Amino acid sequence: MSPASPDQEWKKGSAEFLVLSLLEDKPRHGYDISKLIQIRSGGVLSFHVTTLYPLLYRLEERGWIVGRWVEKSEQRRRRYYSLTPAGRKVLRSQRQSWKEFVAAISRITGVEHA
Amino acid sequence: MPEWRVIIRERLAGLTLEGAAESSLTEELAQHLEDCYREYRNGGAGEEEAYRKTIAELDNTHPLAAAAQRLQYSTSYEAISVGDNRPGSFFEDIWRDLRYAARNARRSPLFVLFVVLTLGLGIGANTTMFTLINTVLLNPLPVPNISELAAVCVPGSQASAKTGVPLPLSYLDLKDYRTRNVAFQSLAGYSSPRVITWQASAGSDKLGEHSSGSQRLFAELVTGNYFYALGLQPVVGRFFSPDEDATPGAHAVAVLNYGTWKARFGGTPQIVGRNLTLNNVVFTVIGVAPAHFIGINGIFGPDVWIPSAMTERLLPTELHNAFDDRNKAVFFGMGRLKPHVSRTQAQANITAIAANLAREYPETNQGRSAAVWSIRDVLFVGASTGSSSIFFASAGLLVVVGIVLLIACSNVANLLLARSSARNQEMAVRLAIGASRRRLIRQLLTESVFLGLLSGLAGFVIGYAGLRLVFSGWAVSSNFIAPKLDLTVFAFALCVSVVTGFLFGALPAIKTSRADIAEALKEEARTTGRSRRKVSLANALLVGQVAFSFLLLVTAALFLKSIGRAYQLDPGYQTAHLAVFMTNPGQAGLAKPQAKAFYRHVHDRVTRIPDIQSASWSSNIPLWSRPVSGLEIEGRAKRFQAEAISTIINTVDLGFFPTAGIPIEGGREFNNTDQENSRPVAIVNEKLAHDFFPRGDALGKRIRLPGQEQFREIVGIARTANYTSWGEAPQPCVYVPLEQNYVDAMTLYVRTRGDPRQVVAPVQAELHAEAPEIILANVLTGPELISDGLFQTKIGVALLSAFGLLALGLAAIGLYGIMAYSVNQRRREIGLRIALGAARFRVLQLIIKEGMTLVLAGVLIGFAAAEVVGRFLSRLLYGVSASDPLSVGAAILVLSIVALLACYLPARCASRLDPLVALREG
Repeated sequence: MSPASPDQEWKKGSAEFLVLSLLEDKPRHGYDISKLIQIRSGGVLSFHVTTLYPLLYRLEERGWIVGRWVEKSEQRRRRYYSLTPAGRKVLRSQRQSWKEFVAAISRITGVEHA
Repeated sequence: MPEWRVIIRERLAGLTLEGAAESSLTEELAQHLEDCYREYRNGGAGEEEAYRKTIAELDNTHPLAAAAQRLQYSTSYEAISVGDNRPGSFFEDIWRDLRYAARNARRSPLFVLFVVLTLGLGIGANTTMFTLINTVLLNPLPVPNISELAAVCVPGSQASAKTGVPLPLSYLDLKDYRTRNVAFQSLAGYSSPRVITWQASAGSDKLGEHSSGSQRLFAELVTGNYFYALGLQPVVGRFFSPDEDATPGAHAVAVLNYGTWKARFGGTPQIVGRNLTLNNVVFTVIGVAPAHFIGINGIFGPDVWIPSAMTERLLPTELHNAFDDRNKAVFFGMGRLKPHVSRTQAQANITAIAANLAREYPETNQGRSAAVWSIRDVLFVGASTGSSSIFFASAGLLVVVGIVLLIACSNVANLLLARSSARNQEMAVRLAIGASRRRLIRQLLTESVFLGLLSGLAGFVIGYAGLRLVFSGWAVSSNFIAPKLDLTVFAFALCVSVVTGFLFGALPAIKTSRADIAEALKEEARTTGRSRRKVSLANALLVGQVAFSFLLLVTAALFLKSIGRAYQLDPGYQTAHLAVFMTNPGQAGLAKPQAKAFYRHVHDRVTRIPDIQSASWSSNIPLWSRPVSGLEIEGRAKRFQAEAISTIINTVDLGFFPTAGIPIEGGREFNNTDQENSRPVAIVNEKLAHDFFPRGDALGKRIRLPGQEQFREIVGIARTANYTSWGEAPQPCVYVPLEQNYVDAMTLYVRTRGDPRQVVAPVQAELHAEAPEIILANVLTGPELISDGLFQTKIGVALLSAFGLLALGLAAIGLYGIMAYSVNQRRREIGLRIALGAARFRVLQLIIKEGMTLVLAGVLIGFAAAEVVGRFLSRLLYGVSASDPLSVGAAILVLSIVALLACYLPARCASRLDPLVALREG
């Protein structure tokens, strides 16, 4: 699999998985999420506002994440997204099938996954 | 910075969201763009470039608009910290409540101070008492597995083994029990602490500044397996080996008490191998016992332990024949039971051995039994009262401090109730926004437990101070048990604090959380006074406090009066003009002829002092005598073991009876005809004469003392006195003349014309002039003898009085608090009354009457309680009835004065109200 130009379809399917993974350890706001995706993918992946927020709202609509305005002292308020128990469950199952998928691909293609 | 909000609104113009949702969405996206823009700028992009790159984020707004439209965009808002995404877990809630409580506490420091002081005093009193109990009763022996230990002793004269005083065994009997029993892993023996003289100035003993001249020490004789049986390890050196206790007089070795080692030898590890000259015998120190271990005689222990094989060399006169005479009872048996052997089984085993011994040695052992005690029952043999009364007194005092704490709790509860009306609104708001009642109660309880813990901290400090106070009256010496502030005590204080928190917090929490939302919110900031229910609850608590303080005051007053009476009790000898001087010529190395000369010369010298009426010698010190078992009466066969007669034995010189002020009721005193080689004689006391010669024919009859061969003829009957403790039940006593029964340690009794304190110095000078090498172990005047005899009772009374006053103080604070609060709440009403023409003193009267009604109710209840408690106490009181009118009256008087003051101050405040101000405020 060449990471150079990930195609749109793949991106759409895995984007949900990425967002859920990033929210696993703590709640984050939208900008935080987009920066993390960009940094951790080494700049390969990036989301525009017009892609990221519809995704977040969709996940929220499904009840996998929940957005809340949070006020921290000395900071402006921000909307933080956190995983719901349902989202946590989805994340687990996605992670499992992703693993299986990658394993299957590498078995076939002989590409070692990182 | 571009106006991102405006831009977003333009781009999403087609969107039809409701107001709040729209602005929330706009804000979220605008923030994102702002962050992007700032980052581009920080990365070195120019304004234009940054703007262009940022705006590119909004290229295709269609999916965004669609998603936003579909979603019921939530604007929910929380002032929680990041990371708090999960629904509150139990511990998180507690943590949050604790922080809230701490914030609350910071807001009202005066309130917190009051609570912490009040509860701190209560908890401190409990900590002090518990430390004493922990040290003396719960944890008296610092040895492993104390429950496996048991003692083997001869039961005292009382019929039942369990109620009698444990008396020692003879060396031979102990040896037989040791070898023949199958119940003990190892059976060891120990004596009670004996006074010995340390010739500290003798050559090799020199150890710095501490050692000069002769000093008094206490030694305990123990068998070689003593420390092994206890399971102890030496701090330094080693303990006795079995062969060091095998041959009489062969191995002069000693183990030091830890405290003595620290205090007298500076805790040097080089102590091992040093020599100590004790009673003119040179001993080698081989080890040091562990800290806190002062032997089995619970409260008072020895400075050194000496192997039992050294008994006769250490104390040649006192313990002569200790090895081969079955009548010479010196050792208490003690050992560790084998696994799975119960005390009852051990008892059966020991009883069987005792029966065998009685068959084998009928001369000495007939009718003599032995009993197996729990080690705890023999811990306080040295104390005059025994373990049961120590237990009784401790339990009593623990109840008292418990009551003090309850009073403190109810005080604080009252205060919280008063505050609860102020917090009603807060609670109502919380309920209104959806908090559950249970959650509110939990929060309130967390607050009170938090206060309880703060108070616990203060209490621990106060308890420590209290302990120092109690023990400041205690002779500081390594021989005495020292209070231990250990983890158990800390855990106790912690538990008490938490329980206290629940105790004073529960009622107010339930009350407060019952806030009526609508009512409370309507009330606004102004409170119109406490509800009837709250007032009556507070009053009930207050009445309880008054009742308890009254009870404690009456009890303290009773004991105080009882002590006063105790001083007037007739101990059977005169004390007003008495002084006693303890000497020990034998230990100073004086042989029998020199010692007898010493006694004679001192007598002659002392009687020449003008202020001295008479002087004489006695082997016993008043109130320090111990009974011994095995007195025989001629012609009276011992049929049952219960008939073994125990008696006090006192060796006295001529002129003892008039000097001590003991009247001879029949027969004669000792005189010059009673010589070493003349007919052996004895004087018995009335108790012995009455019990064993009920027909009044004691004179001329013969008795034999334990360990002696000859029978003595009774030539006189003396009045019964107190020998062991103050106000004790009469016990038999036998006096024998010094000429016929030499003792190498005697006490000089001096009868003065005036104050006995005046003669102490001159007599000491005479004693020193006669024999400078003899140390004066102790000097006591008559009044001091009584004080010492009443020492334990006095400590108890001191504690009781202190706690009683503490309770009174707390109740007064509570009363004042409630009255002041109620006056403050009723300012309007009082103002109105004054405005309508009520005289100020009528207002004063009104308020005081209210307060004093409560006090009266408390006193009545307390009086009834005192009557009940008094029944239990009557056996501890010397000649005072439990419903003594004077004590009750005094308690009422003190309580009334304090209560009146506590009511008067708020009442005066009320009567001085300016009606105009009060009405306008209201």
